Amino acid sequence: MIFLESILSAILSSVLISSTGYYAEKFRITTLSFCVAHAALAGASIGLVLRADPTYSGMVLAVTSAILLGVVLPRIHLKEVLTLSLFSFFSAIALIAIYLSNTTVLATTTLSMVLWGSLLAVDVQKLVMLSVALTAFAFYLKVFKVQIDSIIFDRELAEAEGIDVYSHTLALLAFMGVAIALALRITGGFLIFALLYIPVASSLLVADTAKGQLLASITFASLSAIFGFSVSYVFDLPIGSSITIVAATILLISAAISRRGSVVYE
Amino acid sequence: MRVKLRNVYVAYSGSRKPTIKDITLTLDRGVYVITGPNGAGKTTLLETIIGLLKPYRGEAYLLGVNTKSRRIFRARRKCSYVPQDFMKPPTEAYTGMDVIRLGLVFNRGSLNDAIELAKRLNALDLLEKPFGKLSGGQQQKIMILRALARNPEILLLDEPFSSLDAETKENLCEILKEYSDRLVVIVCHDTSIVKRSADHIVRMEEGRVVDIS
Repeated sequence: MIFLESILSAILSSVLISSTGYYAEKFRITTLSFCVAHAALAGASIGLVLRADPTYSGMVLAVTSAILLGVVLPRIHLKEVLTLSLFSFFSAIALIAIYLSNTTVLATTTLSMVLWGSLLAVDVQKLVMLSVALTAFAFYLKVFKVQIDSIIFDRELAEAEGIDVYSHTLALLAFMGVAIALALRITGGFLIFALLYIPVASSLLVADTAKGQLLASITFASLSAIFGFSVSYVFDLPIGSSITIVAATILLISAAISRRGSVVYE
Repeated sequence: MRVKLRNVYVAYSGSRKPTIKDITLTLDRGVYVITGPNGAGKTTLLETIIGLLKPYRGEAYLLGVNTKSRRIFRARRKCSYVPQDFMKPPTEAYTGMDVIRLGLVFNRGSLNDAIELAKRLNALDLLEKPFGKLSGGQQQKIMILRALARNPEILLLDEPFSSLDAETKENLCEILKEYSDRLVVIVCHDTSIVKRSADHIVRMEEGRVVDIS
């Protein structure tokens, strides 16, 4: 049963993270999402100190920082510099919190979950939360499909034609905060980017339509989760690292296919 | 009044020097051609009208809505804007028809209008092709088609003739004449092309409007 819950969670996390990552790449908010990912790690680490559930504390800080960044950044100059500074700031907070968490052994289940993910970190409640988050994101994409596609096509043009680019960016960042906090249990805070961007990068190499790229991204993320989970189980390795290695292998294969000029998805 | 600017000053983010200075303009209907040398502030003026750039001094109104207001989105839905040098890379995933369809989300335009206009601009064969793989001139045609198909109350075009062939320029000028009951604002370096369609010529220099004829 635990095995089934874990593999289901790995797949759902991968699908949620890779699809939000796909839209973050298309919305050109990649740096911002790195920042949110580190906020989730910092929040989860603070949860260790406060003896709170790291998923919830990670989610609170990730979503709060995502919304604050979304509100503040359009109003200031030198956005990239601020985002990168916050990226380092959240990493520092995470490391301080881990230091203060009084967890003397790094292999402690809770700490290892925060750092590099754990097969044992999933329970039914988190599985339900993942399903709800994925359903909510799918519903959001369905309802606002044309507006989102317009923003992906050209952000400035979409804004000039009356689409509320600002609110959609905030919504995407909030979904990303939730997705990252939930997936943190599987991949760990330091490797969350693996699921955020490696499948997306692979999909851009092999598909040339918007639908194809999204499908390829989700497929690659799911394959990374399934095979990464198996590698982790068989060789007793950290699941986050195993998923990352599989995802990176898929990226290399995609790059090789792409060099031959093939297009797998249409 | 469809567009009203009152003593407007605009500067780009990070710059202390205004790109347009003390502009007061009232535009309601007809074809206005904004001309002037490079750096005169023509594109900035267009972006200020649509509200992409906000004045740091003065007020700008689009269809009666202050461009700093959140309600500006609703006003923009009645407008079309074609930016200068709009070019997408070959990796762009949409077809020409997709690009037009995306422009029709919130307004009264229709795909049938787009097809009719495509015939007049010799662009029918471009609709099903991947947008990113079209040439600069072909992409510009699709963007103009998209703007026209939205059936806008205000049409803003930034250097729309820059990559078009002579026949398409002629056809576009003819089409623009049909929009003279609405407001059309065209930024154009070379006024000889649009002379026949223009009702007014607005000349800009160093960020100021120096003449309206």
